Amino acid sequence: MTYLDSKEPPKREQRLKACISYAGTVCGMAKKTKNCCLNDGERSFSQGSICLLLPALAMINSLPDNVTILHGAIGCGSCAHSQNANARSGGSVRWGQVKDALWLSTALNESDVIGGGEDKLEKAIIEADVLYRPATITVVAGCVPGIIGDDIDGVVEKIQSRISARLIPVHCEGFKTKIWATAYDAVYHGIGRKLLEEPETEKPLIYDEFEEEKEKVRRSKTVNLMNVSSMGRGDELELTRLLNALGLEVNIFPVFARPEEMYKVTQAALSVSTCPTHDDYFVNFLQEKFNIPYLLRHMPIGIENTSLWVKDIARFFGLEEQADKLLSEEIAELKAALEEFLPLFQGKTVFVGAGEFRALATARLLQELGFEIVGIRSYHHDEFAVGEYEKLAASSPKDFVLNIANVQPFEEANLLRKLQPDVFLGHWNGNGTAAKLGVATHVIYNTGLGYIGYSGVYELARRLARQLKNPIFNRKLKKHASLPYTQQWYDVDPFKYIKVQGDEVNA
Amino acid sequence: MPNFIERPRYLCSLGGAFMTLTALPETIAIVHAPAGCVGNITWTQNGGSGLQVGGYCGGMSVPSTNVQERDVIFGGNERLHEQIKNTLDVMDGKLFVVITGCVTELIGDDVRSEVSEFRQDGVAIVAAETGGFKGNSYDGYDIVMQALVKDYVKPHQTKRKGKVNILGIVPYMDVFWRGNLEGIRKLLAKLNLEVNTFFTPEDTLEGLENSASAELNIVISASYGLETAKTYEEIHEIPYVTTGLPVGPTATDRFLRNIAQALSLDLELVEKVIAEENRVYFSYIDTLVDCYNDLDLQKYAVVIGDANYAPALTEFLADDLGWLPELVVFTDQMKEGQEELFEGLLENLESGLKPQVIFETNTSQAIGHLNRLYPKTGSHKYVKTFSPAFVVGSSLDRELALALKAPHLTVSFPVANRAVLDRGYTGYRGGLRLAEDLLSVVVAGR
Repeated sequence: MTYLDSKEPPKREQRLKACISYAGTVCGMAKKTKNCCLNDGERSFSQGSICLLLPALAMINSLPDNVTILHGAIGCGSCAHSQNANARSGGSVRWGQVKDALWLSTALNESDVIGGGEDKLEKAIIEADVLYRPATITVVAGCVPGIIGDDIDGVVEKIQSRISARLIPVHCEGFKTKIWATAYDAVYHGIGRKLLEEPETEKPLIYDEFEEEKEKVRRSKTVNLMNVSSMGRGDELELTRLLNALGLEVNIFPVFARPEEMYKVTQAALSVSTCPTHDDYFVNFLQEKFNIPYLLRHMPIGIENTSLWVKDIARFFGLEEQADKLLSEEIAELKAALEEFLPLFQGKTVFVGAGEFRALATARLLQELGFEIVGIRSYHHDEFAVGEYEKLAASSPKDFVLNIANVQPFEEANLLRKLQPDVFLGHWNGNGTAAKLGVATHVIYNTGLGYIGYSGVYELARRLARQLKNPIFNRKLKKHASLPYTQQWYDVDPFKYIKVQGDEVNA
Repeated sequence: MPNFIERPRYLCSLGGAFMTLTALPETIAIVHAPAGCVGNITWTQNGGSGLQVGGYCGGMSVPSTNVQERDVIFGGNERLHEQIKNTLDVMDGKLFVVITGCVTELIGDDVRSEVSEFRQDGVAIVAAETGGFKGNSYDGYDIVMQALVKDYVKPHQTKRKGKVNILGIVPYMDVFWRGNLEGIRKLLAKLNLEVNTFFTPEDTLEGLENSASAELNIVISASYGLETAKTYEEIHEIPYVTTGLPVGPTATDRFLRNIAQALSLDLELVEKVIAEENRVYFSYIDTLVDCYNDLDLQKYAVVIGDANYAPALTEFLADDLGWLPELVVFTDQMKEGQEELFEGLLENLESGLKPQVIFETNTSQAIGHLNRLYPKTGSHKYVKTFSPAFVVGSSLDRELALALKAPHLTVSFPVANRAVLDRGYTGYRGGLRLAEDLLSVVVAGR
């Protein structure tokens, strides 16, 4: 019995004891043992955040030949308007074709809310199948069906036989989990249950023993490279380059994966995560169901982490020697290229905020460039990142503040005013606060830019040098723009509104 | 009602209320909803509003109760109370407005009573029920504006002669909202009117507070803001007129005459302003004439847009630029009686053109409508094609333009492929801007 036998994946606060509210320091966090996750607090004041629907749609809307049906009120999932840019550019760099994502809304209105929306969903699926003829229709439930009790799995089961597209139900009822990383589980759950069978069209017409043997050898050297929707094609190519250099083949999955080729993920020799928070649910499933072992430890951002990531893979295939040679060449070449930037970075302070693994790995990269980390905000916390905190605690000359926060720019504004870093790296829609405080800013992921592997280190360094060379846009902004907080807010503890066991901290 | 809407070109009513409030000076919205609503709206603006997102207290800075499963079971009122109390400590604003999402409305949270407690203590706070299933973002603008008109605008004000409020332009949904409102204000200032546009950098919150002293409300839309105008009329006894979005000289001449009539202004002054503005407009157009002819810049056009832009752009193309808009697609969800109303808006074009008007929320189907208008028949030698063509619409209509091998300009939401700051298309100057933008696309490769 695996998680995938149920209709929905469990929420991460239950499965992993993941949390979103914590105030402390990086050394403090590093000392907590793996099985002693934090008791999550609540905030008695909060700003908006995201729910699992948003990152789930970022994955789903990348799938070629897919129609997304958002079952919910009309605005639910409108974030696709921004994700569409990624669908267009991602398709273009992979297949030379610019194509808009295709998403539909059942636009539940007041009478649907009273009468139920299952009929409407059923008709929408049937009509969409005829009108667009997609390979897959992803049926995504927002909050409303979760409350009025619409059974999207029931609808899908009932009509699948009449529909030519594969129907994939994905549960994204935002109120059910505060850990939006549950999104990855939700999408993997749908894919794992519905899309991993090898289509007849992909099977060879004639049995050829020699071809079979060749295929076996190929598979024995094939790695599932689990990508994430926040990494671009350039990052994928960098990791592919490194693995190819060791004689390994790469099967990239699941973002921008073609539905008819998804079954290949069940045939590799090894699954390798690029972001442990993203992939644990699915690589475990691949191991249980298809006996594919996995590596789920490092995110290949920064010199040390990229090297660790490659070495782990090399060790699995017995390619340590080749890897050592490759890495020493790669690192020497990279370090020579970085040299001209390092004096500019030396001793500059930096503050980082983003999804947990990316924030931590990027912080480590910035240390390698000579920056001093003065604070990190992770958007949530779970057990996979414990090793990253240990790495950072070991490599930081001074302890620094750690804030687990699902966005919450008010805490960030308070912290940044006190810490006054030279540079800030933040999530999408997450650099505005620092920018208005006059801090030089740079986005911590953007699918059009490189961040990952050795080339990512160089590209990021080059961009940071650009930001530092002329940070005047933000400096002028500071003079003329204001943040929406009261003076008294800056005078109190930034974590005043994090409640622990019913009490506000420092209240 | 259709069973689905393809790539909806609007958000929910919460989204519309959110965008309206975050555009209002010194105002703090408090969203009573699960955590994802704020992020979803912010990301949508990031992708669809011409690179405009945030503002003083917008985007991810907006306070939100982030209700969870526990609140769904036990009710979210307690959480809302705590959130409002702490918002007043942390957030620096003069007006606080609680808006609700689907979840908190479905579980029946009593937002009004929660808010009224704070009102009794003298806090400027208002509540609006904007659950997403109530309508789209244009409706959300109307719902939250009505709440403000009822519960925030100062009642019993003495009417000021020559003061008007402008309604019907929804911030961020009309991506050119600031420029369009400014265009209207500058235009009406020429008639010596005092113009309250609520949302531009020159407006203040007092403008909203004192808006009941206006003599007239002007709804720049055949659809949006009408309920707000009716509420002003009921509560504050302000009459209203509805006009379209005046883009270019033909529509603007008519707009000024309509307003002059509604306010019984000096007609001589109005005609003088119209004559002078036309003189200026055509002295700019003058230098375009040679190239307009030499490069054969007259085009067939498909116009795709919301209820404000579809008729306004069509009229400008047909009656000012001398183009042939053959197909006009309204992308709104139609309410009862609206189809006839919108068709009527395009029945009396001065050029005598009768474009085909369709109502289609699945805009990938627009090409089908066009193929029916221009069927691929006839001999290979003599073919009446839809060419030279131009597509004016949203960024989602690029695929149509590509299929027609036609140039394309994005004006209506979503605007993913343009950066918009203070640009606007209203008035005579707006017509010049639009002509520049359209023709620049045509000659971009020159």
